[in-house]
Amino acid sequence: MTHLRFRRCGVNRRWKWEEQQALGGLNVLPRAYSLFCRLAYGFLCVVCLTPLSFAQTYTQRGFLENRGTFYPQKALNDSGRAIGESLLRYEGFYLPSTQIQVAGAVDFRIDTHHQVDRDFHLSWLDRGFQRPAVAIRRLSATYHRGPVTLELGKQFVRWGKTDIVTPIDRFAPRDFLTVVDNDFLAVTAARLNYEKGSNTVEAVWSPSLTPSRIPLENQRWAPPLQQLPTPVTVRNAQTVFPGGSQTGIRWNHTGTLEYELSLYQGFNHLPSFEAALSQSETGLTLEVERFYPKMLMAGGNVAISSRWFTLKSEAAYFGSSDARADEYALYVIQLERQSGEWFFIGGYAGEAVTERGSSTADFAPDRGLTKTILGRANYTIDTNRSVAFEAAVRQNGDGLWVKSEYSQALGRHWRATLNVTLIRGELNDFLGQYRRNSHAIVVVRYSF
Amino acid sequence: MSEQIRNTKSTKGTKGELTILCVLCFLCSGFFQNDPRQIVEEAERRTTSQSQRYEGTLKVIDAKSKVTEKRWQYDRMGSHGASKAVLRFTLPPEVKGVALLVLNHPDRSSDQWMWTPAINRERKIALQDRATRFFGTDFSFEDLEERDTKQFDYKLLGEESIDGAACWKLQSTPRQTKVSQYSHSYVWVRKDNYAIAQIENYDKSQIVRRADYTDIRNDQGIWTAHQIDMHDLKRNSHTILKIEKLQYNVPMQDDAFTVQALRRES
Repeated sequence: MTHLRFRRCGVNRRWKWEEQQALGGLNVLPRAYSLFCRLAYGFLCVVCLTPLSFAQTYTQRGFLENRGTFYPQKALNDSGRAIGESLLRYEGFYLPSTQIQVAGAVDFRIDTHHQVDRDFHLSWLDRGFQRPAVAIRRLSATYHRGPVTLELGKQFVRWGKTDIVTPIDRFAPRDFLTVVDNDFLAVTAARLNYEKGSNTVEAVWSPSLTPSRIPLENQRWAPPLQQLPTPVTVRNAQTVFPGGSQTGIRWNHTGTLEYELSLYQGFNHLPSFEAALSQSETGLTLEVERFYPKMLMAGGNVAISSRWFTLKSEAAYFGSSDARADEYALYVIQLERQSGEWFFIGGYAGEAVTERGSSTADFAPDRGLTKTILGRANYTIDTNRSVAFEAAVRQNGDGLWVKSEYSQALGRHWRATLNVTLIRGELNDFLGQYRRNSHAIVVVRYSF
Repeated sequence: MSEQIRNTKSTKGTKGELTILCVLCFLCSGFFQNDPRQIVEEAERRTTSQSQRYEGTLKVIDAKSKVTEKRWQYDRMGSHGASKAVLRFTLPPEVKGVALLVLNHPDRSSDQWMWTPAINRERKIALQDRATRFFGTDFSFEDLEERDTKQFDYKLLGEESIDGAACWKLQSTPRQTKVSQYSHSYVWVRKDNYAIAQIENYDKSQIVRRADYTDIRNDQGIWTAHQIDMHDLKRNSHTILKIEKLQYNVPMQDDAFTVQALRRES
C-alpha cells in the first residue's frame, strides 16, 4: 500500500492532502489498483520461487549525476537563478531463468530549489507535485515464452516512432518540472506482447493513471496562470485524479516499410484546468482545479527509408467524453539522415482542433510544440566528444527555442555536459511564455 | 603365406586409396585455385556453425593515438545469410545495455535495430545510414553484417602472402540486391585453412577501411581470428577487436533475436 498522508510542510501541505483525497479520500486505493497490486505481488513471488537450477545472472548499472542550472534572468514568480541537483540512479536486472527477468531501478534525489520533496518516503505512484526524494523508478517482472512476453509492474511503455513529438506515446508521462529538459516516468501496468515474424501485437492495461509532473506554481516554469498581475491570488483548489484504468492496444509491423496502429482509452496524463474568480478581503482570488480528462486515441505511424533519408510520419486523433476537453488531431512529419559523423532530424508538427472544450486552460507541451518547425543535429567529434543542436520555431514566429549541447567523456566513468538553451517569443505563445527562462546547465555524471 | 598375401594386398589397397585421395586433393586445389566462388564457398562452409558467442574487447585508437575501451557480448545464431546476431555493450558503464540486432538475409541487405535503454526505444538503422561508424568504433553498421557469398561476385586476382601465410587474393563486388557503401573489396583467404586474413574495402578507387585478421586459432574445428584490427583510413583511426571466451554451437533460442528481445533483456 502506498501511504499518503497529511503533512505540515509549508507550501506542500495542501498538495499532500489532495493526493490522499484523489485516491479515495480515506487512504483507500481504487479497487483495480488494489487487485493489480495483489496480482503483481503474486507474480513476483512466483518469480522469486522459481527453481534456481537454471543459469542465473544479475547485472547492474547506474550513475551519480550532479547538475547545476543557471538562469541569467529572474522570473516574475521566482527569483532563484541557480539550482543544484543530485541524482543517484541504480538499476538491477535479475534473470532467475531464461524465461523470467526482474528489473528494478531506484532514484535518490536532492536539490537546492525544493523541486524535490524533502520527505524521505518511498514513492510508488509518483503523483506528487514535487519529485520524490526516493522513488522506485522501475520494478517489473517479465515472463517470456515463445512469442509471448508478459511484463507486470512499474515499467516504461514507449509507443511511436517519431522523435520530436510523439502523439501516440500515451503510456509515457513525463516530469515537466523544467519544461524543456524533461524525463520519462514509469507507469504501473500489465503489458502483454505477442510477436510473430515481423508483426507484434501489444496490449497494455494500467490500473491507475500516472500523471505527468507539471511545473510548480511558485517556480519559474509554472504555466502562465500563475503569472497573472499581483492583485489576483492564484489558489490551487484541488486536483482530481481519475480512478479508472487505462487500456491500449498496438499493432506494429517491422520490415522495409514499418508501420504501427494503436488505440488507447484512458485519461490524458497532462492536466487541464478549470478556474473560478472570486472576490475576497485581500482582493481577487482565482481558484484553479486541476483535472485529467478522459481520452480516446486512435493513431498510427509509418517509416519509409529511401536512398537519401528516412521519412517518418505519425498522426493521432484524440476524442473525449468529457465536455471540458478539446477534441483534436496531432501529426508529425520528419526526415532523418545520418551522414558521416552527423545525424540530422528535421520536421513539422501540426494540430487540427475539431471541437473546443470548456476548460480554462491546459498544460500540453505536446500540443504546444505543434504548428512548429523542429530540427535536431548531432555531430560526433570523436569517440569521447559530441555536440548537439536542437531548435523549435513556431510557424507564426511567436516562439523560438534553441538548445546547444557539448558533451565529453572523461575516462571510463565520467562525462561532463554543457547545455545552453535560448528561449524567445511572445507571452501568449507556449514557448514564448518561458522567454525569461533561457539557461545554461552543467552536468557531471559518474556512471558505474 | 595367405596371411602375407592379404597384408600385401591391404597395403597396396591403402596406397592406392592414398594416391587417389592425393590426386583428388590436387585436382580440387587446382579447381579451387581457378574458381574464386569455390574458394569463398569452401571458406564459408568451414566457418558454418549453429551459433557463436564471444566477449569482445574493443580498443578504439584515434588519429592522435588516444585510446578508448569498450566491451560487448556477441551472440549469433545460424551462419552467413541465414544468421541473426545480437550485440550488447557491457562497457563503458554509460553505454551498458545499448544493443544492436542484426537480421541477415540471403537475398538482400540485413535489417538492423539499435536499442537505447536511456530512452527505452529501438531505432531501425536505415540502409542509407549503414556507412556510419558504429558507436564510436571504426566498424560501420555494414561491417557488422555477415557476408554471404551469394550476394557478391568474385574474381581471383592471384596469390599473395599475408603475415607469412600464402593466400588467395580475391575481388568481391556486391550484386545489385546488396546495398553497400563499398564499390568492391579485396579479400585475402589463407590457403592452409581457408580463414580470411585481410579485407580491404573500397569506394571506387579509394580505400575506405581495412580489416586485418590475426591470431587465427582452431576453436571447435573452426579456424577463427581472435583479433580483428579495423582501420578507418579516412580518419586515420583503428579499432582492435579482441575475441575472448569464444564458443561455437552454444544452445540458443530463436526468440532471443527479435526486437522484443532487445527490449526484454535491457
